[in-house]
Amino acid sequence: MTDRRMLVFNVLRGAAAIFLALTVGFIFIILSSDEPLTALRYLLIGPIFSIRNGILSFNTISFYTILAAMIPTIFTGLAVCVMFSANQFNLAGEGLVMLGGFIGALCAIYLKMAAGLHPVVCVVIAAIACGLVMLIPALLKVKLGASEMVTSLMLNYIIMFIVLHFLNYNFADRSKGATQTFPFEATAQIPALVPGSSKLSWGFIIALIFVVIVALFMYRTKWGYAIRMIGINQPFSKYSGMKVGATIVLSQIIGGVLSGMGGSIEVLGRYNTYLWRELPGYGWTGITIAILAKNNPIFVPFAAFFIAYLDKGCQLMSTYSDVPSEMIDIIQAAIFLFFAAEQFLAKYRQKVVVKNTRLEMAKAETRAVSTERRNA
Amino acid sequence: MFDQFLSTILKADFLFSIIRITAPILFAALGAVVAEKAGVVNIGLEGIMSISALFGVLFSYWTQSWLVGVLGALVIGVILGLLMGFFALKLKTDIILAGIAINMIGGGGTIFLLYMFTGMRGNTGALVSQNILIPTVNIPLIKSIPILGEVLSGHSVLTYVAFILVFVMAALLYKTSLGLNIRAVGENEHAAESVGISVLRIKYIAIAISGAMAGLGGAFMSMYYSQGWNSGMIAGRGFIALAAQAMGRGEPVGTMLSSLLFGFAQALRTKVSGLQGVSSYLVSLIPYVFTIVGLVIYAISTTKKVRRYRETQVKAAE
Repeated sequence: MTDRRMLVFNVLRGAAAIFLALTVGFIFIILSSDEPLTALRYLLIGPIFSIRNGILSFNTISFYTILAAMIPTIFTGLAVCVMFSANQFNLAGEGLVMLGGFIGALCAIYLKMAAGLHPVVCVVIAAIACGLVMLIPALLKVKLGASEMVTSLMLNYIIMFIVLHFLNYNFADRSKGATQTFPFEATAQIPALVPGSSKLSWGFIIALIFVVIVALFMYRTKWGYAIRMIGINQPFSKYSGMKVGATIVLSQIIGGVLSGMGGSIEVLGRYNTYLWRELPGYGWTGITIAILAKNNPIFVPFAAFFIAYLDKGCQLMSTYSDVPSEMIDIIQAAIFLFFAAEQFLAKYRQKVVVKNTRLEMAKAETRAVSTERRNA
Repeated sequence: MFDQFLSTILKADFLFSIIRITAPILFAALGAVVAEKAGVVNIGLEGIMSISALFGVLFSYWTQSWLVGVLGALVIGVILGLLMGFFALKLKTDIILAGIAINMIGGGGTIFLLYMFTGMRGNTGALVSQNILIPTVNIPLIKSIPILGEVLSGHSVLTYVAFILVFVMAALLYKTSLGLNIRAVGENEHAAESVGISVLRIKYIAIAISGAMAGLGGAFMSMYYSQGWNSGMIAGRGFIALAAQAMGRGEPVGTMLSSLLFGFAQALRTKVSGLQGVSSYLVSLIPYVFTIVGLVIYAISTTKKVRRYRETQVKAAE
């Protein structure tokens, strides 16, 4: 009973945070746009409904596009969930998505293999490589106490420039106008889940499977327990005999593996050549998603859907009205600040707690009274 | 190629460019120093620099005065610092997440803000004219000294301000009661509170000063270094500043020295990328690799020190 009331409170609190963040967004839209109503319409209902002659109809292709956009961010969201659960503010997911995509692409171009096996091998190689790269911030943290936050931020830039170097000097297809690699082998591409131009590949299903795997790992294995415990109370975990250092390293390796998978699956499912020339931004989105999901893997797909929906809305808004699509960053920042605010609506939380306690006490009293009567 | 390399870096203009490149990192690094002293991790420096860089240009364009622009950037920095403080200290958002949120606004959000205020997209090219940029100064006596004059004279006003602020910051932290309070709060909040220091107030002040520093760094970038604002112009300088603070052991003068090291790495990058047959991408790595190596060296030296300290403690006990 009490748990349910707390849950209801938490859900309402989250909704209030999102509502406030959207309100901040609306205020900015109204301030900057000459046609705020059109802008808002595209932002809010544009992503899945199309409006023709005043009739609202469900837009299936657009819906699939949103699902497709969730593929990389589910992976980065999961990666951040695992790392932040252990209180490791490792921000290298951003760079590792790019590295994973690049390595996956190289395997897709230069390895020759059967159709079913090829993409699996590409993704596995990319994931392992990214997991190994995560050893740098993880070991520096555990062995030397260097801040994983600073090293991982630097690592993002290092990865970007290394990828760009190899892309430009070693693997570029010079017959194309833009800088890109040679096309992938047809066997390496991750097949589409639905026909059409939505780019929704089987990667989406794989992402959902990994949501379940990561959730089971975090809540049903001793390693997952150790990761969460260390996040809650590191000294306690240490004194109770957990291998704190190894667990911290493990959490970041998992983060790297998931980020690398996200990058390679995205590249192999969406394109037929590698063409990212800057950091794709999925790592940062992953952080927003992990915050929205409260570090719980099960909520990651919902959070990813919400962000993908908003992102699509912002793109439509910038296409059909005069508001730039970068609006999404303002809304995301606002969501971030309110959602992660522990004391947001704390007074009401206090009220819920007080009410619960009163009810419990009243119940205990009636119980005591009834047992007294029975005894009498 | 090595001769060519040596002859490029041993010139006065190279030393001049080190100082020029160091200044914005130094501003932000001083912001990191004061925040860290009060026990606050300000990862939002990057975003604050970007946002105040934008507003520096806007304010100076609106008033056609560079001074108003710089002060405006400083005020915006303070406001953003306080905003971070409000969420982190009052609403208990994790300070790192609050910083990331500020960085998001600094990333795409600034493009939106620029559009909202001017209708322009991406950069402020059309707004900038020579009279709204920060002027350079020739120092009378030093100017005429042969090589030293070329290196030290002719920088922008803010460049000198950055290096003067190092000593101001040191004085603030070690010679004033505010500084004592800041250090006390950073060292041990509960102890500070028990002697009647308002921890919250001190943290707000520290993060506001931190924001002001980043604001000046932003103004330097848009109103002198790049002569205009564009998205992505900060390019990780706020993050490098965090590393400079860590490498400088959190002390103003040490942080200045490590900032100069990063300045050297950046200047080297610019010089080397002009040479033939060198990958510009690999050269771009230099400052970032430098940062990690610097952090490692710093971390090794501290862990050694701790070990030595423990050993002497053990010996003393015996």
